[in-house]
Amino acid sequence: MNATALFFVILGLPLATFLLLGISWMLGFSAGEKCIGRTIKTIYSLMFLAFLALSWMLYQDADHSIEIHLGQWFVLDHYEYPMAFQWDAVTMPFAGLTIILSGIVGSFSITYLHRDPGFLRFFLLLVLFSFGALLVFTASSLDLLIAGWELVGITSVMLISFFQYRPEPVRNALRVFATYRVADLFILVSVFLAHQWFGAADWARFREIALDAGVAGVSPAMMTIFPILIVFAASGKSAQGPFCGWLARAMEGPTPSSAIFYGAISVHAGPYLLLRAEPLIRQSPLATGLLCFIGLTTAVLNTMMQRSSSDAKTSLAYASQTQLGIIFVEISLGWHTLALIHVMGHAIVRAMQFLRSPSMLSDYHRLHSGAGGELRATGAHYDRIVPDRWQRILYCFTLFRGFHDALWDRLLIRPMFLIVRLVEKIELSPSKNKTPRRAGTSSPELPVRAKRETI
Amino acid sequence: MFSDLSLPFLSSGLLLLIAGAIACAPRFQLRSPRRIALGFLGLALLLFLAAFLKIQSQDEKIYLDPLLPWLETDTVDGLPLVVFTLVAIISVCLAPRRDVRGSSLSGILLLVTGTTLVYTSAHWVTLNLGWWLTCVPFVTGMFGPSEDRKHTSIALVASALMLTIATALLHASQVASLSTISRGSLVFFLLAVVMRKGLFPLHSWTLRAFESGPLLPKSLLFNSHLGAMLVARAESSHLPDFAHQVLYGLSLLALVTALITSLRGLTEKKPRRLMGLVCISQASFILSGLLASNSAGIMGGMLHWMVVALASTGLIAVVRILEVRVIDVADPTAHLGLAVRAPRLATFFLLSGLALVGLPGTLGYCAEDLLFHGVQDHHPVMGVFLLIATALNAINLMRLYSVLFLGVLPKNVIEIPDALPRERWPLTLVVMILIAGGLFPSLPISLRNKAVKTFHLSAPDSSHHE
Repeated sequence: MNATALFFVILGLPLATFLLLGISWMLGFSAGEKCIGRTIKTIYSLMFLAFLALSWMLYQDADHSIEIHLGQWFVLDHYEYPMAFQWDAVTMPFAGLTIILSGIVGSFSITYLHRDPGFLRFFLLLVLFSFGALLVFTASSLDLLIAGWELVGITSVMLISFFQYRPEPVRNALRVFATYRVADLFILVSVFLAHQWFGAADWARFREIALDAGVAGVSPAMMTIFPILIVFAASGKSAQGPFCGWLARAMEGPTPSSAIFYGAISVHAGPYLLLRAEPLIRQSPLATGLLCFIGLTTAVLNTMMQRSSSDAKTSLAYASQTQLGIIFVEISLGWHTLALIHVMGHAIVRAMQFLRSPSMLSDYHRLHSGAGGELRATGAHYDRIVPDRWQRILYCFTLFRGFHDALWDRLLIRPMFLIVRLVEKIELSPSKNKTPRRAGTSSPELPVRAKRETI
Repeated sequence: MFSDLSLPFLSSGLLLLIAGAIACAPRFQLRSPRRIALGFLGLALLLFLAAFLKIQSQDEKIYLDPLLPWLETDTVDGLPLVVFTLVAIISVCLAPRRDVRGSSLSGILLLVTGTTLVYTSAHWVTLNLGWWLTCVPFVTGMFGPSEDRKHTSIALVASALMLTIATALLHASQVASLSTISRGSLVFFLLAVVMRKGLFPLHSWTLRAFESGPLLPKSLLFNSHLGAMLVARAESSHLPDFAHQVLYGLSLLALVTALITSLRGLTEKKPRRLMGLVCISQASFILSGLLASNSAGIMGGMLHWMVVALASTGLIAVVRILEVRVIDVADPTAHLGLAVRAPRLATFFLLSGLALVGLPGTLGYCAEDLLFHGVQDHHPVMGVFLLIATALNAINLMRLYSVLFLGVLPKNVIEIPDALPRERWPLTLVVMILIAGGLFPSLPISLRNKAVKTFHLSAPDSSHHE
């Protein structure tokens, strides 16, 4: 098998599974748990084998980079949307993590979600997520990366609201979705600007421009604005800086999805984007400084919040954000290899911690007895270093999540709603909002049993 | 194969639609009017498809009907006509029983006839006739009593009147084509477009039309996109320079509409109004694309036209289906949690909605990608506003989805059926077209290429954009 065929297996299997299971369900045929379980195990096994083969090819390749061209998605005159992919030293670890951890989480979830009404829904979203994440990590341009980026975002939101019969997950899913959309604006604008300013939005072009910006006709302003947009886009995906509020809300989803999304893969899409755009970011001191500042402040803030958090998953979410902040700092300092190793280690450990979180008490007791009853809480030295008064202030500060949500509400949401009300006032409407509520339209006493003959 | 045939596809299709409208009239008291209407619409669809394939398979850009020379179809209106007829079939299939009784089906067929006349008109008379005909079912109340009837009728009649005045002015000045159109006539043309399309600040009637009365006929009225068709025709002809400047203003107005309606959606609570705002906002993108003066924008606008027609039909149909099952859907006071009882309807709603706002893997994504590139080339700052509008629309759509389908199921909702087979298959077709179009966008793009070239040649600054 050549590289293209192997790549087809890796990228095509999750998409084909999603379409097959999804369309058959929409038409009224639904597969049983056993069938779904076997399908999931089979496809991830095949993807893993293809991954091994492709990695072996990469190892033997002289350039240590395999280019895969699947033609053009669509062409219009001079405008082309290339289906070009890249398999290199940066892609391989991320793609490998996605395949292996999604397979493990999928296998774990077959038992974890046994007889859950959303069993099929979970696996449909898992394979769609795998497809999206692999698209992000293998795309050789920002255009194609965005397609995967958006799919990862929407599957993430759908899984946060997985337990849809509870109000909290629904509310939090909507908040996370809104945050994602705001953050995605940065990457969308950046891709259009890349086409206008640089003529293309692929990684090779970014490297060219970084090497010789003056020749390419790129102004310093362009070299500053573009990397800043990328930094904010990555911050949105990795819950850093101004977007650090959503990760704790995302813990409403089932534990396996938290493991794969917020422990392992999804949140690391931000560092991946930064590693790809790093040659351009390095050219702008402002963008580099911003990246370092965002990473550092998020790491400090979240390590404090993690210590005041009362539940296991939220605590793990803050811990994830802390590590991601450190990864951001590493990238800003140009330590790519360290950042890559950090991402790998963090993803594996965090996924394991999330998957074990339902058994945390049992694990703790086992550890406690294993240590002979001498297990002390970590961070006791803070009690000695930080004065009591400051401890109380910091505790209040972290309890309110650093007033992050309040700031967003005050600085962005309220002004936007004010504008909306203003627009409502100037709208030319003959009788807007004057429609009287019909009597009895929402009577809770009236049982509604729809009759088939009327629908 | 089709080049050897010279059948009057268009006139036959129109006659079938008129015959269908008469046959479905209440006075005949048919036992199954839906099937009769579907039969007539299906035959008309085949005929329009044949006319479209005839244009595609031959070098000529225009197919002139051999029976009625005032009817023609060309590369610009061929595919929209087919898609609109398909949307009409899907709407009739999906309409709840209470919506296909009495004169409703006649009204729908009359609306399709009027729209077809506008699309296929080769003369100002047929254009005006079709435009007025689309108003008739709403003015005469063929879809039953509705609170918005007065406002909808006024807007539709005003729009038709503007068009008639514009054509009368053209006729009076003995102008044969749009290349020598006068300023006065152009103003009336634009007013006709703004009123019909529901552009800011005249978008309120569309919103009000969504809010009350029968939804599916409103969906067809909305998806006829006659304003966009008029603009497309104007753009594909050789307009004078001042007209291009005026049309540039129209594209800005469309962008403003897209942004303002998406912002308005943030505070809207009623599902119908919220859905209306999302649809109006997304539909405004079409004009922005068509007037972008570059091939990417025009192609994006044309593909988005198809996406809006199909996806909004799916969305609106699901909401209407839910309305007849659960009375609270009209004005919910809390989350309804209907996904527990109707998971398939929830999925159809979500997929249609996300395709409308450009989910990757659907035709909406390709359309928006082209459209944004085109608009950003044309006026970069406004292109960013378009991105903001689509982001807000996605949030609004998700809000609507969460209100209808997520949350705790109210105690009064005991048992409701999920999508019935009659509903499941058309909705699956909609979703399949959107997904297949997204996975293999080369086909829809190749079908619209000839039309884009018609535009591109006439654009004043077509060379430097690529």
